[in-house]
Amino acid sequence: MIEGLPPRIAEASPDLHSARHDEFKAFVARHVAPCAEQWDRDQRIPESVLAIMAQCGYLGCSLPKDVGGKGWDVVTFGLLNEAFGRGSAALTGVLTVQAMVSMAILKWGTSQQKRAWLPPLAEGEIIGAFALTEPDAGSDLHFHDTPFTESSDGLILNGAKKWISCGQFAAMYLVFGTLGKNSVACIVPRESRGLRVEPIAELLGFRAAGLAELHFDDVFVPASNVVGKPGFALSHVAPVGLHYGRISTACSALGLLRGCFEESVAHASRRKIGDITVGDLGMIRSLIARMGTDLEAGRLLCHSACRAEDEHVPDVFERTLVAKYFTSRAAVRAASDAVQIQGAAGCHGSSAVSRYYRDAKIMEIIEGTTQIHEDILGKMFVDHASRLGAVSNSGAPESGKRA
Amino acid sequence: MHTQRDEATSTEQQVRETTRRFILSSIQVTRLDDDANLFESGIVNSLFAVQLMTFIEKTFAIEVGMDDLDVENFKSVNATTGFVLRKTGALG
Repeated sequence: MIEGLPPRIAEASPDLHSARHDEFKAFVARHVAPCAEQWDRDQRIPESVLAIMAQCGYLGCSLPKDVGGKGWDVVTFGLLNEAFGRGSAALTGVLTVQAMVSMAILKWGTSQQKRAWLPPLAEGEIIGAFALTEPDAGSDLHFHDTPFTESSDGLILNGAKKWISCGQFAAMYLVFGTLGKNSVACIVPRESRGLRVEPIAELLGFRAAGLAELHFDDVFVPASNVVGKPGFALSHVAPVGLHYGRISTACSALGLLRGCFEESVAHASRRKIGDITVGDLGMIRSLIARMGTDLEAGRLLCHSACRAEDEHVPDVFERTLVAKYFTSRAAVRAASDAVQIQGAAGCHGSSAVSRYYRDAKIMEIIEGTTQIHEDILGKMFVDHASRLGAVSNSGAPESGKRA
Repeated sequence: MHTQRDEATSTEQQVRETTRRFILSSIQVTRLDDDANLFESGIVNSLFAVQLMTFIEKTFAIEVGMDDLDVENFKSVNATTGFVLRKTGALG
């Protein structure tokens, strides 16, 4: 019988994971956390911090070493996103979209595309953006309609993409559209004639993530820039990118959740009310207990999803949906409770928790809304139970689906 | 005495059974014709294509790449079996 595939990237030891997580947290404490509030206010991330991240290899950490990446396993990628999520959700968005674009090209790109684009992406010389969402079409890929038409030696692109993270400063875009009845994905360099980048400002959260609307007016795309094949962009190319986007977002939300927890316990133990601290109040303890339990559950779910990707098992997509669904919702609850615990101070723009509160909501929307996740997961769980014939006479499942 | 042909038939049967078992565990049907078109019948969800790809990569030590993107390679149990056998060199 044919032997199964060994792990694609050798998994690091738990000690190495722990050491790298410490390194990432130290980086965030030094280069990210002290500046995140200012970036949020300025609605931009300075190039200098991206340059330091590039030097550390963080922007191409999941790509193989032979294209200039770090070749780190996905558990390590998850820990990186968790650490950055604690400091700045907007900056973590750069890690998210860089991975989405890089991994889609790594999987489905031609040799020429890999040679041309992966080294600069791996080394962080350029940032890529994943151009999927349209002004009138959100999470459901099948309603997308950015038309490509054929020309003599390539394609002509028209239409618009909106809410594109890092769109303001990306050097290239992986753009999804339609070619007749087929979905198609193409690499479109920023300098392409007919492409106009319009910054989007005044967002609720992710304010520094450089969101943009992209307008394509008869943009010529060489045939050699098509990623995958026409007809497979929505079934194969986009899911690979979105999958890494969900892993990144799940772990980033986990980091934000940790931030809420740490800020809350610090405040609860410090803040005095007469002779007692806020943490002595049962009602506050309830909020913190819920937050801490969600944090532990989120850690396990994120680790499970990252491990599944490292092991390359088919249920990785389901585990990742579960992790992203859980941590994004838990982050919203925790951020709300963290503001509640700090009271008026938590409502001021200078508090980390007020930024967490705004950023957390974005986590429930990007890479598939909570409702899209519920639709997919609800159907998966019901179908799974039906297949097992695990519904007892009372109508209740005899054994639950792992989640 | 086993011939080379017996061995090839045995491998083909194993690949077909393993593939059929995975597909049946992923879609909402209890029986499946080995030639039934999975993508035309509406029985698969939006993640099925990448789940199937991941399954065959993991189980049969195959790397599915851009050149393999052809519906004819994955449209049914038999099509997927043929694809795996061609990629692994077990067929001919």
